Amino acid sequence: MKKRMLATIMTAAMVLSLVGCGAAKEAAAPAADAPAPAATEEAAPAPAEEAAEAAVEAVGGDVNGDGKIIVGYISKNTVDVFHATLNGAAEERLNSLVADGTITEWTGILDGNTDAAKQCDLAQDCINYPCDYVIILPAESTASDPAVTSMADAGIGVIVVNSATDSTDSAAMAFAGSDDVYAGELMGNYVMENVPDGGVFVHCQGVIGNSAQIQRGEGMNNTIGANSSWTNAADVPCDWDASKAVNTVDDYLAQYGDDLKAVICDNDDMSSAAQTECNAKGRTDIVCIGVDGNQGPLQMVKEGTLGATVLQDGAGQVNAGIDAIVAAIKGETVEKSIMVPFVLVTSDNVDQFLN
Amino acid sequence: MEAKKKFYQTDAFRMFMGKYGIGVVLVFMIVAIAIMKPRFIYPSNILNVLTQISVNCLIAYGMCLCITTGGIDLAVGSQLALVSVLLGQFIVLREMSLFPAIILSLAAATLFGFINGVLVAKFDMAAFVVTIATQLIIRSIAQIISDGKGMSLATPEFKAIYSGTLVGIPYPIIYMILISIVMYILMHWTKFGRYVFAVGGNVNAAIASGVNVFWTKTLCYTISGLLAGIAGVIFTSKTGSAQSNVGLAYETDAVAACVLGGTSFAGGISTAPGVLLGAIIIGCIYNGMNFLNIGSYYQYMTKGVIIIFAVLLDMVINKKNR
Amino acid sequence: MGNSEYILNCEGISKAFGGTQALKDVQLHIKPGEVHALLGENGAGKSTLMKCVIGLVKQDTGTMEFEGKPYQANGPVDALNCGISMIHQELNPEPHLTVAESIFLKRENTKGFLLDKKAQNKRCEDLLSKFEVPYTAKTKMKELTLAQVQMVEIIKAVSCDSRLIIMDEPTSSLDSTETDHLFEVIRDLKAKGVAIIYISHRMEEIFEICDRVSVFRNGTYVDSRDMEGVTRDELISMMVGRDVKSVFPKVDCEIGETVFKVDKISGKGFHDISFEVHAGEILGLSGLVGSGRSETMRAIFGLDPLESGTMYLEGKEITNKSPRDSIKKGICMVNEDRKNYGLCLLRSIRENISLPNLPAKQKGFLLNQKREKKEVGEVAKKLTVKCASLEHNGFSLSGGNQQKVVLAKWIMANPKVLILDEPTRGVDVGAKSDIHTLMCEFAAKGMAVIMISSELPEVMGMSDRILVYHEGTINGEVSRKEILANAITQENILQMAFGQR
Repeated sequence: MKKRMLATIMTAAMVLSLVGCGAAKEAAAPAADAPAPAATEEAAPAPAEEAAEAAVEAVGGDVNGDGKIIVGYISKNTVDVFHATLNGAAEERLNSLVADGTITEWTGILDGNTDAAKQCDLAQDCINYPCDYVIILPAESTASDPAVTSMADAGIGVIVVNSATDSTDSAAMAFAGSDDVYAGELMGNYVMENVPDGGVFVHCQGVIGNSAQIQRGEGMNNTIGANSSWTNAADVPCDWDASKAVNTVDDYLAQYGDDLKAVICDNDDMSSAAQTECNAKGRTDIVCIGVDGNQGPLQMVKEGTLGATVLQDGAGQVNAGIDAIVAAIKGETVEKSIMVPFVLVTSDNVDQFLN
Repeated sequence: MEAKKKFYQTDAFRMFMGKYGIGVVLVFMIVAIAIMKPRFIYPSNILNVLTQISVNCLIAYGMCLCITTGGIDLAVGSQLALVSVLLGQFIVLREMSLFPAIILSLAAATLFGFINGVLVAKFDMAAFVVTIATQLIIRSIAQIISDGKGMSLATPEFKAIYSGTLVGIPYPIIYMILISIVMYILMHWTKFGRYVFAVGGNVNAAIASGVNVFWTKTLCYTISGLLAGIAGVIFTSKTGSAQSNVGLAYETDAVAACVLGGTSFAGGISTAPGVLLGAIIIGCIYNGMNFLNIGSYYQYMTKGVIIIFAVLLDMVINKKNR
Repeated sequence: MGNSEYILNCEGISKAFGGTQALKDVQLHIKPGEVHALLGENGAGKSTLMKCVIGLVKQDTGTMEFEGKPYQANGPVDALNCGISMIHQELNPEPHLTVAESIFLKRENTKGFLLDKKAQNKRCEDLLSKFEVPYTAKTKMKELTLAQVQMVEIIKAVSCDSRLIIMDEPTSSLDSTETDHLFEVIRDLKAKGVAIIYISHRMEEIFEICDRVSVFRNGTYVDSRDMEGVTRDELISMMVGRDVKSVFPKVDCEIGETVFKVDKISGKGFHDISFEVHAGEILGLSGLVGSGRSETMRAIFGLDPLESGTMYLEGKEITNKSPRDSIKKGICMVNEDRKNYGLCLLRSIRENISLPNLPAKQKGFLLNQKREKKEVGEVAKKLTVKCASLEHNGFSLSGGNQQKVVLAKWIMANPKVLILDEPTRGVDVGAKSDIHTLMCEFAAKGMAVIMISSELPEVMGMSDRILVYHEGTINGEVSRKEILANAITQENILQMAFGQR
């Protein structure tokens, strides 16, 4: 008897934990933007007499015609610093759109787990939700493409942000991002300017196969890689991981000693960690640089312990993507490709990017 | 006490609950989510969830066999990557036709499964250690073959493996149903299945009963490799891309599906339908949490809490069997 | 209601597990300083009652009194604090602990936060000195024999100042010298006024050591008697509720050709063993525990390697690399270690019985489960396996029924040679007699049966021929004729086991 009761209680507890997390989230959302209920109630139910008016609105807005405008947001992941910042910007902006009644609701941040297959699943979830617009930050250029195409086929307005997938041009409503090859070139040029004599450098790569890793590497090879006074000691797969970058620095310092002049990293989590390691070993002369412009590295630039970093304006990208949705809802024309530039941040301009 | 037994006191009911009690959890979960978001149980979403779980479900079946013999197969994620890369090599670079390319890729995955099995069974090495090691080796091979690059593998006929439908049912669901039937028969209707349970339950008694422990264990890992390979084909067709960085940590969900499905880590206990239920629960957790707008930071916690409670529940239901 | 004559009073105890009533309104009265036997078939309720006493399970109804005060333990530790300890049949020593650590487990000597090993070892040595044991406080548990581990448990009980010690089948894994030593200790404890509840299936022991006996049957209390003036047959009929005609149902049957023969086989623990066994014959192997009997049989069955010598089955030379080989050839073995080598307790009775017989039940690739169910059902019925359903797992069975399941799986394989290693150890009287009857039936069908037993009456009562082991070799052979003619007695066999000719 006792056992059965315990069993029942446990089942109940499990279901409650699931429901509880959902409810907590739902309760939190309206609390955050208090005036929301009034606005949503006006926008959401479209009774008969308002139908005509609603129809006008729906021209660019309500894609699937269910009376609601729902925006989906498929993140690349929720763990690395750059994407956390980016997701935060999206969350803030989309909540405010819900608050002012531009959109009915949004899905919350769906976690792509840096896994293309997971993103394809999430795309199906968005179709079933049903979403009118979906912002997606692809994990892979090729493998995440089915997510984009399947949603586009279902009639959803897809906005690809940060990095493009293979058929972004043809299938997506808009792309908002930056040119990673250019970021690689910025890094290469910065190193060559600051160490005019040349020498040996080592390249800490991101997860092999990610488009950012491939394109940043390409930009790097176009510049410093093509310069005869520089030698690339190795391309080391560091999986975007700062601790692996530090290990790499140690290994190549041991091997090349004073000849090692620069460490080029695919992101600045790695470059800042690499620079810290070099500084700790008394090699402040080594130039470490990476891409993203996370707050930690920016702080180091401000302090003068890191020479420079290449800022990818993630918040700018995601806001440009959301601008495109707002434009579409209002029936305005949407720019197909929105390029948000990379910025080389040094001590001269760091203050304008530090929070 | 001696009076007429209520239906829930009967032996048959208890035994059913012992094996499939987790199904009750699933029903509760579906009802709870559906009440809050009716769209969750629309046929389109149900097909969606079932399609999504197919990869995990196939991996979980192989995992279940290995766990039942008292081991584990942690190399499945890498097997996925290997098959993905090989398919790219065969179809795109060697321009082979679909069928032989798939067969060759599956053969490779099966071979590595066999190697896992021999290492575990012949040399009596800990499965955990063996498969963690081969996981690294297999992923490295995949990276060497592909040179770390991804390539597009989106020919319509290859894409159809994942996105095709038969009378409205997506192919992945059909593969899953077919393999579920095969696994059910294999585990519960063949000599081999019995041997798997016996080896996992009490290896000495199995030896003393004339069971060939070496072949039983080896076959389990070989089958696990083959199933991971099939999952890899579906996976590659799903993403339309052949690359070596896929399938990271896929073993976690497979283990979770097994555990939810009543597979005992001590070995000797599991059922094929249980694994299917476990995989469906995992799918519902992912899909349902997205429907319920649960923040991604809370999703892992929810998943963890559900797994712990499900296993506790299972233990409570089955306590009398200890 | 307190009765000062008794140290422990149990009244009206009932306990049900699920649908089965394990105890029905049971009573038990134990006097201080007596050795009180509990008798009953397995499943009669003795263990459940003892579990109630030490608080492992809580009775549904009924009250207990200990030393005149109402008593209800919440678990073994609680019971220990009250002065009651139990020595379990299956001991699970922690192999890496020392004797001292084991004895003072959970009540360690401490100095502040630290363990005071020195003081603890000293205290332990003091205790050990009273018991004349061949080990010290610092000996690791894993170095001890089963008998020694048991002694450690008893010392632990004494050191806790227990006034009542429950011993569950304490002699089941002891040989006769060890048993004698145990009895000395028991008599010692008794003299100090400690009451002992003694659970055993071995009548000889009960008559030797016990003062009074309480008999249980089917979860009910039958009666209590003084040992003086009660006969064995009386007790047995109280236990089983039916008269057991003779203790050993040996039927003489025709002894045929030589089925199996070994010539000068050697291995770990035995050397130069030669014997043959005939169709229809029950060959008994006697000897002390550790004299090489089980080791020989394990090697023959293929569980352990054979170092030299040859084996012949039906005149042809054979080698057995694994149990698989032997089963295929028709040699099957019931292992003495039922828990490890006999059954897969997690799985159902049906699966256990058919495990070695699956190849015969295949229909193409699939198993013919219908036929399997039918055949397993038949053999289980024939062997009178008592279970609610064949789909239940092995944990649900009593020891005797587990043993019948092991027998069932080999009977289904229809072997030519059946090796039984301690087939009735830890088995209740009813099941024991069933197993003996079955052995005779197997022999009558032309099987060659080899039985290892540490119980002399069993070997002498059941065997057509007895080989007596001493230190790894065969030291003597006795025929049934000699036994029936009283030319050979238990004493003679024991002498052979101890190395005399």
